[in-house]
Amino acid sequence: MKPSVASLYQAVELKQDVGPLLVGERTNANGSKKFRDRLLENDYQACLAIGQEQEASGAHVLDLCAAYAGRDELADMLELVRLFSSSIKIPLMIDSTTPACIGECLKIYPGRAIVNSINLEDGGVNIRKVCPMLKTYGAAVVALTINARGMAMTADDKVATAREIYDIAVGEFGLRPQDLMFDALTFTIGAGDETLRDAAVQTLNAIKRIKAEMPGVMTILGVSNISFGLAPHSRKVLNSVFLHEAVQAGLDAAIIDAGKVLPLSKISPEDLELSLDLLYDRVKDPLKSPLMRFIEHYQAHVPETAADEAATRARRPEQIMFDLIVDGDKDGFEDTLSILLQRRSALAIINDILVPAMRHVGELFGRGDILLPFVLKSAEVMKLSVTYLEPHMEKVEAAHVTKILLATVQGDVHDIGKNLVDIILSNNGYKVYNIGIKMPAETIIEKARELKVDLVGLSGLLVKSAIVMKESMPLYQEAGLGVPILLGGAALTPKFVAQECVPGYNHPVVYCSDAFAGLKAVRDFEAGTLKTTTWDLQVQGEKLKPGLKNIEVVRTHPVPQPPFLGSRVVTDIDPTPLFSYINEQALFRGRWGYRRAKQTAEAYDQLIANEVRPLYAEFKRRAIQDGLVRPQAAYGYFRCHSEGDVLHVQDGDATHLFPFPRQAEPPHLCITDFFRTPAEGGDIVAFFVVTIGPEIDKATHALYDANKYHDYLMLHGFSVELTDAFAEYWHQVMRRELGIGGAEPENLTGFVNQAYQGSRYGFGYPACPDLDAHKAVFAMLKPERIGVTLTDGMEMVPEQTTSAIVAHHPQAKYFAV
Amino acid sequence: MNATTAKKYICVNCGYIYDPELGDPMNNIPPGTAFESLPKEWVCPICYAMQDMFDPLS
Ligand code: B12
Ligand SMILES: [Zn+2]
Repeated sequence: MKPSVASLYQAVELKQDVGPLLVGERTNANGSKKFRDRLLENDYQACLAIGQEQEASGAHVLDLCAAYAGRDELADMLELVRLFSSSIKIPLMIDSTTPACIGECLKIYPGRAIVNSINLEDGGVNIRKVCPMLKTYGAAVVALTINARGMAMTADDKVATAREIYDIAVGEFGLRPQDLMFDALTFTIGAGDETLRDAAVQTLNAIKRIKAEMPGVMTILGVSNISFGLAPHSRKVLNSVFLHEAVQAGLDAAIIDAGKVLPLSKISPEDLELSLDLLYDRVKDPLKSPLMRFIEHYQAHVPETAADEAATRARRPEQIMFDLIVDGDKDGFEDTLSILLQRRSALAIINDILVPAMRHVGELFGRGDILLPFVLKSAEVMKLSVTYLEPHMEKVEAAHVTKILLATVQGDVHDIGKNLVDIILSNNGYKVYNIGIKMPAETIIEKARELKVDLVGLSGLLVKSAIVMKESMPLYQEAGLGVPILLGGAALTPKFVAQECVPGYNHPVVYCSDAFAGLKAVRDFEAGTLKTTTWDLQVQGEKLKPGLKNIEVVRTHPVPQPPFLGSRVVTDIDPTPLFSYINEQALFRGRWGYRRAKQTAEAYDQLIANEVRPLYAEFKRRAIQDGLVRPQAAYGYFRCHSEGDVLHVQDGDATHLFPFPRQAEPPHLCITDFFRTPAEGGDIVAFFVVTIGPEIDKATHALYDANKYHDYLMLHGFSVELTDAFAEYWHQVMRRELGIGGAEPENLTGFVNQAYQGSRYGFGYPACPDLDAHKAVFAMLKPERIGVTLTDGMEMVPEQTTSAIVAHHPQAKYFAV
Repeated sequence: MNATTAKKYICVNCGYIYDPELGDPMNNIPPGTAFESLPKEWVCPICYAMQDMFDPLS
């Protein structure tokens, strides 16, 4: 019987009729960044998809390696081997150097696998552990010619090492020669290392001799090492020629990306000649080494083969690059760009391929065909590509693009909104000057002048910032800023912009609901069609004001006994219990943007299971392991009474007044309705300020600085939902302390619907809109003790902080005023 | 559309679920009102998000 290996589905002969047995190498955490990234995200399904691509591109066997620092190799491998063996038809090569891991994988693999690898580096210890396993499970094995002195460099040493391994495996353990696949190793001849000039020759000779001296054994080789250090398009040619030569010498199997092998017929005679000269170190020009000649040749020409190969795949590099951006796929973008650079200028590549690709991404997003997280992945590839091209650009080339200045306004530290706008605009080819947070109008004016920008974009999180925007309009007017102003941020509305901001400035003032509205505004500006925001009651309509309708507040409800009066801080809170309070729906769909959109319910469930939940699990793990989250609370209970629409709160000798608005329409509610008057005996009110600390914010910024846009949005979203979860959790702690924690919600929907006694109102929300109340809250709770401070815009720093007033009255629920 | 076959929708901002069988008493919406028939002024009763912030539930 011919030597073969097998999966659950099929047997594959180790000796193929035509050409070598090809081993796919992209499912290797050390060799493929894409695979590693998916693995680090625990996204095994995506790992599988990479394996399936390899299978589709013609691999006969799939190398699978999950050894990566910081990961649990055994757990990863078991998971992957299970998944791969049921879904991939070609046999697996279990790539591990840990005997225990090899054994466990062989145990569960349903076919005949190849193990990669054994060697004699440790003088023969591990090989003696692995060989019995090979025997038990009938596996084949890759044997590397490494001995106690290191990797064998010369043919003699390679053959001697192979012989030693042969004697152990066949002699001591009774394996069959055909179970052994010797890898005679190869080293690069592309880096100019004089001692390696004959590396290809040594390897080819060793292959010949191993085949001749140890009849029946197989040979295998990681072919692409030969060309390490050379330009990508020339590597493909050299690898292909070397593979051909190695097969002539007797090579049975090659570890190589099957999609990247060129048939010799696709290589021009000149290219072939140059490669052979380099491989066999044939000096034809006394002044130039074969390597120099090879390099110079490929600096001058794009090999025809590169175009050919693309044509055989029916995709030109232009199309490939476009698709990489649209798919948010980083794999091979450098190779593709380097090919494109031979044909076009860097600027032309950006303008004719990259920018149109991003525009297409924007259109897909606008139609609901793709989701925000995928837009950010595309933007990451865009950013990498532009960074790659920058050294190739002439300085003058950048002169004519539209320039936008971005800033978060005075008193406001919120920067993710502005940064997302930066990401979208700059990766659509515009020049963005992102000057930062807490920017006074004066600085904005100065910078806009100095940088000669075409538009100014302002951002802010809270209503206070909206008011800053309104108040600075006349300043921009007086200073003669003279360019359109785009306004964005969660607390803004088109109505506010049209009625409050537009009148102060006589150039266009434009409300932007999101970053794409900003992009559209910039394009409209270029087209000369940018319009000031208007607001029409007839068209837009006033929104409803939700709240309980037929409610008569009971005045006689008992006042609970507080555990203490005054304020306290708690600084040693275990973060783990907070996770179960995270509102996953709001996180996945709202903060992260993984909405259902046009997907079927099944496709959406798949997306959540395969992509979103693994990421979520990873963040929870990091939050704990990397110490990203440190929950701390400042809170307190105080005597109080209501007088009309004002709550009087007693803190020792001090009295703080909290005025609240009252609904203009029935049932005319006001928060004070839930507290007793002095005549009714007064009441108890509670407050809290909770934070998960500054570390996660730092980690988030680091991602932004590294241009990891997708993970940036994800970690930020996670951090803010965790903050909300903490508020939910702490509110529950306080209900228990008050002795009103009897009827608690059973699940998260219960928390969303406030199925507990009482309510907490966050300052700044409709029933208590006045953020200046933070001054009194801070005077009472002194949250500085847990590292929280207030900006002059009444924002709390760190951002991942939230405050509330807690009412115990059972009828107290959210309502809008 | 009849109320029992009508789809539920979830607010992506806060996780509130609009169930047509229950309607929305906070906004005076009677039971049996399909999401698609809500007035355009209707907002999420919990977080005041607008209707385009709702996803159909499977
Ligand atoms: C998540 C969130 C939180 C999180 C985190 C806050 C943060 N982002 O750091 C937590 C839970 C901590 C929180 C706390 C609070 N929050 Co809050 N929060 C939100 C929420 C739900 C989303 C904000 C967010 O991060 N969005 C993500 C980013 C990417 O979006 P964005 O900044 O809006 O930017 C996008 C667009 O607005 C636009 N854009 C923004 N700027 C610009 C600029 C230009 C030029 C352009 C073109 C476009 C543009 O494009 C961006 C990308 O698409 C909003 C409501 C909402 N749905 O928007 C309330 C909201 C901002 N919060 C609000 C309030 C009141 C608070 C608190 C004061 C409550 C409290 N008492 O504790 C605190 C204050 C926190 C603090 N540190 O001071 C109010 C603000 C209203 C007000 N009165 O000021 C809001 C609007 C909710 C509401 N409907 O009332 N909050
Ligand atoms: Zn909502």
